[in-house]
Amino acid sequence: MKTLSKKLLFTLILMPFLVLSQGTVNGVVKDASTGQPLPGVNVVVKGTQNGASTDFDGKYSLSKLKSGDVIEFSFIGYKTQDVVYTNQKTLNVSLAEEASALDEITIVAVGYGTVRKKDATGSVSLVTAKDFNKGAVVTADNLLNGKVAGVTINAGGGAPGATPTIRIRGGSSLLASNDPLVVVDGLPMDSRVLATLNPNDVESFSILKDASATAIYGTRASNGVILITTKKGGKTLQVEFNTQFGSGKKFNKVDVFSANEFREFILAVDQNPTLFPGQTLSDRLGSANTDWQEEIYRRTDFIDNNLSVRGNLFDRIPTRLTVGNTYQEGLRLTDHMTRNTFALNMSPTFFEDHLRVRLSANYTNTKRRNAPGVEGNALTFDPTQPVYDPTSPYDGFFEFRNGPGLGQFAPIAPRNPVAQLLQTNNRSINRKVFGNLELDYKFHFLPELRAVVNLGYDRDQGYSHNQTSRNSLSGPIRLGLPIGNNEYNEGVGINKLLDAYMVYAKTFGDLNFDITGGYSYQKFENNGFFTRNQNDPDLVPQFFRGDDVVYVGFFGRTNLNWKDKYLLTLSYRRDGTSRFGENNRWGNFPAAAFAWKMKEEFFKDSSSLSDLKLRLGWGITGQQDIGVGLFYLPQYFTGDPNSQYQIGGNFLPVGVPGAFNNNLKWEETATYNAGIDFGFNNNRFNGSVDVFYKKSFDLFQVAPFADGSNFTNQGPANVGDMNVKGIELNLNYDVVKSDNFNWNINLNASKFERRIDKVAAGVPLFVGFTGAGTGGTSQIMQEGFTPFSFFVFKQLYDNTGMPIEGAFADLNGDGVINLDDRYIYKNPDPDLVLGFTTNLDYKNFDLSFNLRASIGNRILNTTRSTRAYYSFALNGVLQNVSPYVYETGFINQSNETVLSDMFIENGSFLRMDFVTLGYTFQNWLDKNVSLRVFTGMQNPFIVTKYSGLDPEINGGIDATIYPRQRQFLFGANLKF
Amino acid sequence: MKKIIISLLTLFGVATMLQSCVDDLNITPDDPLRLEADQFYSKPGAYKQALAGIYGNLALTGTNGAGSSNIGGIDAGTSQYGRVLWYMQNLTTDEVIWSYENDPGVREIQRNIWNAANPIIRGMFGRAMFQVALTNEFLRQSTPEKLSARGISSTDQAEIATYRLEARALRALAYYHLMDMFGKAPFVDENTPISVAGPEYNRQQLFDFVESELLEILPGLKAPKSNESGRLDQAFARMILAKIYLNAEVYINQDKYAACAEQCNAILGAGYTLASNYLHNFTADNHLSPEAIFFIQSDGIMTQNYGPTTVMINGQVGSIEQNGVSMGVGAGGWGGALRLRKQFVDKFEGSEFSSDARKTIISGSRNANISDIANRDQGFILAKYSNRTSTGVAGQNTTFVDTDFPLFRLADVHLMYVECAIRGAAGASMSTALTYVNALRQRANNGSTIANVNQSALTLDFILDERSRELHWEGHRRQDLIRFGRFTGGVYNWAWKGNGSAGIAIPQFMNLFPIPEASLASNPNLTQNSGY
Repeated sequence: MKTLSKKLLFTLILMPFLVLSQGTVNGVVKDASTGQPLPGVNVVVKGTQNGASTDFDGKYSLSKLKSGDVIEFSFIGYKTQDVVYTNQKTLNVSLAEEASALDEITIVAVGYGTVRKKDATGSVSLVTAKDFNKGAVVTADNLLNGKVAGVTINAGGGAPGATPTIRIRGGSSLLASNDPLVVVDGLPMDSRVLATLNPNDVESFSILKDASATAIYGTRASNGVILITTKKGGKTLQVEFNTQFGSGKKFNKVDVFSANEFREFILAVDQNPTLFPGQTLSDRLGSANTDWQEEIYRRTDFIDNNLSVRGNLFDRIPTRLTVGNTYQEGLRLTDHMTRNTFALNMSPTFFEDHLRVRLSANYTNTKRRNAPGVEGNALTFDPTQPVYDPTSPYDGFFEFRNGPGLGQFAPIAPRNPVAQLLQTNNRSINRKVFGNLELDYKFHFLPELRAVVNLGYDRDQGYSHNQTSRNSLSGPIRLGLPIGNNEYNEGVGINKLLDAYMVYAKTFGDLNFDITGGYSYQKFENNGFFTRNQNDPDLVPQFFRGDDVVYVGFFGRTNLNWKDKYLLTLSYRRDGTSRFGENNRWGNFPAAAFAWKMKEEFFKDSSSLSDLKLRLGWGITGQQDIGVGLFYLPQYFTGDPNSQYQIGGNFLPVGVPGAFNNNLKWEETATYNAGIDFGFNNNRFNGSVDVFYKKSFDLFQVAPFADGSNFTNQGPANVGDMNVKGIELNLNYDVVKSDNFNWNINLNASKFERRIDKVAAGVPLFVGFTGAGTGGTSQIMQEGFTPFSFFVFKQLYDNTGMPIEGAFADLNGDGVINLDDRYIYKNPDPDLVLGFTTNLDYKNFDLSFNLRASIGNRILNTTRSTRAYYSFALNGVLQNVSPYVYETGFINQSNETVLSDMFIENGSFLRMDFVTLGYTFQNWLDKNVSLRVFTGMQNPFIVTKYSGLDPEINGGIDATIYPRQRQFLFGANLKF
Repeated sequence: MKKIIISLLTLFGVATMLQSCVDDLNITPDDPLRLEADQFYSKPGAYKQALAGIYGNLALTGTNGAGSSNIGGIDAGTSQYGRVLWYMQNLTTDEVIWSYENDPGVREIQRNIWNAANPIIRGMFGRAMFQVALTNEFLRQSTPEKLSARGISSTDQAEIATYRLEARALRALAYYHLMDMFGKAPFVDENTPISVAGPEYNRQQLFDFVESELLEILPGLKAPKSNESGRLDQAFARMILAKIYLNAEVYINQDKYAACAEQCNAILGAGYTLASNYLHNFTADNHLSPEAIFFIQSDGIMTQNYGPTTVMINGQVGSIEQNGVSMGVGAGGWGGALRLRKQFVDKFEGSEFSSDARKTIISGSRNANISDIANRDQGFILAKYSNRTSTGVAGQNTTFVDTDFPLFRLADVHLMYVECAIRGAAGASMSTALTYVNALRQRANNGSTIANVNQSALTLDFILDERSRELHWEGHRRQDLIRFGRFTGGVYNWAWKGNGSAGIAIPQFMNLFPIPEASLASNPNLTQNSGY
């Protein structure tokens, strides 16, 4: 900057003299694709010292010119352009980006450092602003969904601002967390930060998929790492304002009987005397026509405003300040979220760039009114009953009751879902402060050596107040009367980080190498307070003090580059965690990766092949967040106020030794990865293919403990093994690239297969609920099969293809149909996941949309399996039934019927998340101002054969979801 | 030089910092409700709390309320000691049926088609063995050496010595139950180190252990009715002894009725009296019954659990009758979860029982036959237990009842004595037996002798039925049927026995439950019972 100013000053002072003697030219240099002025472009008369740079507005002036001089315009990342001087007074130039040159400088974060993309040895995916998803981006993960092969992101429904479930290569654990580590500017956090971070602040995502890349994060690396880099300040002042408005509504419903269909159904039921002997159900029908799924949802608003200012504070501190405000209503009547974010980023340098300082500070305040999940009641509630009932003691809402009193409600009946929503006031506030300070010092006496210290802090404080009316049947009932709910909850979590490492980089002839060594310390603390229901005198408040979690790690890494052809990365981490006992506390995590730039070796002069690189990687990673607290430690537990035993008239809280396992340790995963990166035609067409094999050992599982040998009969132990193998393909193609018309597409595909190799003692684990009864299971973890495979009965059908109620194949042939006759039938994992995005710019128009598909995933549809029975029509009161009952003909729900394989459905889908169309006014009001206006649609369509509401659920069991909305969007981006 | 010193100091500083950070990996619980053993036992009253923990294992499932459980493989609430005991001893028989067969394991239990994967069977095995583990831990932590080391006063030490005996009695109870239901169990005592899988003890070994253990501790236990409420005394130990002797022919193929009669006589002479009203043994204040030898506690607020009394009272409420309020729970209760099988209803057939207080059967317009278990309107229902006190005051909580579970009560001793007499045991006479039977009959008929029987009526068939009439839903029926040869085989079939609505014979090996497959998998010393 300084040099630039000096040059400008120099030029300006000298100008008057120069003008007199020779020819002078003025002009503006712009970016060919965006039309934005380019500052700092070198403008030089070829073969002379005569030159200038463009200023903030891209303007330059060059004098002392003779006709026939060749003026060269050059700027890093752009194609150099030569123009012959023919006494022009003005010469405006547009520089085009240089694709291969851009790649040259693309930097990828790899944890405790960066590498050039072309030198990356591991399976690392970079997603930057130009690739981000558009549309209604509410949480940062929305930018990324469907962009990276092998990464699935699923919010599980349409709750505003929900934290998504992210899986990288299917995860590595059976029952422990499969969430990847999320690192924001070097600060490791959990994936909830994705919902609090302002998406506008994200500069790039770097996704480390294989162990050769992730092992530097040791015991937290097995499920992949997402490194988020936030935007920095710049040398020029730039102001950006984005605003967006959306209006959403639901676009489909779960199939239930309408009021009139229900009347017909009930009348038909009454015709059959064997169904409900001695009872006439039609007597109970009401006279209203209520579509409960219409009543509980609404049209929603979405407003998003974001202002960012970027510049050079005091001419020396590149600074970026962002203020964001997001308001999103959920479909459920009362649900809304307001998020205010504030982000400050400063990156000054000192001592002639020897000391780089980077400070990032973020504050997010999220307010939410949470709406209870009422979908189940909406599906079940009698559609012939009204929403309101003026005579009702329950705040005027209709409820099933036997008399006028508050306590005279029908004991067994679904509760009015609209009342549930409107009588509940559950508000929460979350305040999160996080950020870090990074000092990067390049030694004066040894510039090849850098010392980096990174201090991070993250404080997450939440409050919630949950109230329900004292006249609400959805609140607690005490002594036969509703008493309302009045709960207050607060909690705080603090996370502190210190990283310190040294980097030495040096070139010796053909060998270019760097070596990094360092230390990391991180501590998590949390505690909280919960009043429980203050309207209930039996309940006493609870304090919660979580156990601290401390991680200590020592790490090292070296990158060796020989002749820019052979690249070798070796890394090692020794990690300690407070989650395990002293004998198992430390783990060692080595990794190695080799890359061979075959392009340089064999096709150096090829012009069509622009990149060809082979990558091989191996590494060992760990996963220590097995969610069992200090289970390694023998502890005594004291009973809570409801868990006392009376001796001699006094109640004593019981004192009970807790079960423990002092052999607990981290899970371990070995990953092998092989990949090829390729690019053609100056990388206009580029892509990569990766194959991987992951083998996980010592997986946490609840294993049986020998009875009497410990203080339980089962508990956490490291016993399971699993493997995942898969293949991933990523393709980018700039189909058309010209001044006026650009079109690019990105396509990715991934396939992975998970198999359990070992469970404790070979005894399968039964998991997943059935939707009915207490504690029944629908899924299994069995050796040789995919985790969470469905474990169900094989339905038998009659000649006409109708299922026979309660008739299942006696698979073990013992003449009795019992739980032993279940079999493994399909699983929730997809066979293939596809992602597609395209951007199309024509002149000032831009069009963008994506598509995602999941093929072969299966779903247990409990909205049918538990409700498609004639007898379901009466349970104390009339209940709406799944119309699927006409296809099953089933009378009674039973243990077996809810586990019939006929309720496992194919959940394959093709979905478009967004489509946006924009128009940019390049010189709006002023030539320095650009305005883009756009419109779009979020969630425009989904194609699926799944009979439920939405096949994109987590875990494969559909027990109603919070529906995703379809939104129409309008917005504008203003830049100057 | 100066530079070197500074560098060394820096290095030293860094090394110290790293070491202290590494030490941070030693985390101790921050929560006052979770302590390491030495910390826990340093608190005054900790030993009594730990003793309460062992007693509490009969009543509670965990330390965090009714939804928590120390054991797994079974629904938390269902894992309560008394409840799994009740499922295995009552739900497997003619006395009762559970409407919600979706609840895991229930269907197989009540239709007698269980296998080694059944969660309820696993729950019983795990819960009883947890009782053993708790006792062993208590005995390890309360040795005189440990007590002295922890500075416990000698007065307290003497008191804790009694706690130790009571803990051993509770361990004997668990091994008695395992012997009765499984015929074998892994044997671990206070000398077995933690994490060691115990060797298998067969029925004879378990019998010998329970017998010798109880006989050894008996003199040191408090005399009957002299201990603090909630704690056991000599009568508790004698009760277990009486039970193992009564069933000795089943357990070890030996006639021990005389020994049973001896224990019965000791209890009968210990000052217990029959409650004036039969039903006062089953009310919210039943712990006050003069007949109580040992009841499993339940309190609607302080001792919340989904144990047998909460289940029975909420479950008794009729789907049609909606009679929950009369029993001190929500009007609808659990919607008709429990109903009677016809064969039990028939036990009260005849004018002899027209005014019998034990006949709390509600028939209404119901059909006594249950053709469809899911149809909660079929089958008669019962109103024996109540969450109202003997004076009609409702319990504190409408779900969790205040009613204790009558594990051991005097009427059972009466009938055990009578059975010994009928079986010709020395120490039991038929004439005394008759007075014991008729004492129960008169109590059941409000003091009237109209239903009294003659000595000639005292037959084995009579005593089996009379035990059911008096003690139904109290955790005895399966054991009784086995002792009389009526549980397996086809001599006596009841509705849904063997998975047929009219009842089908079941094989003899089902007199024992299978060892849970998870228990077999985790303890290589264990072998499966034959037939499974």
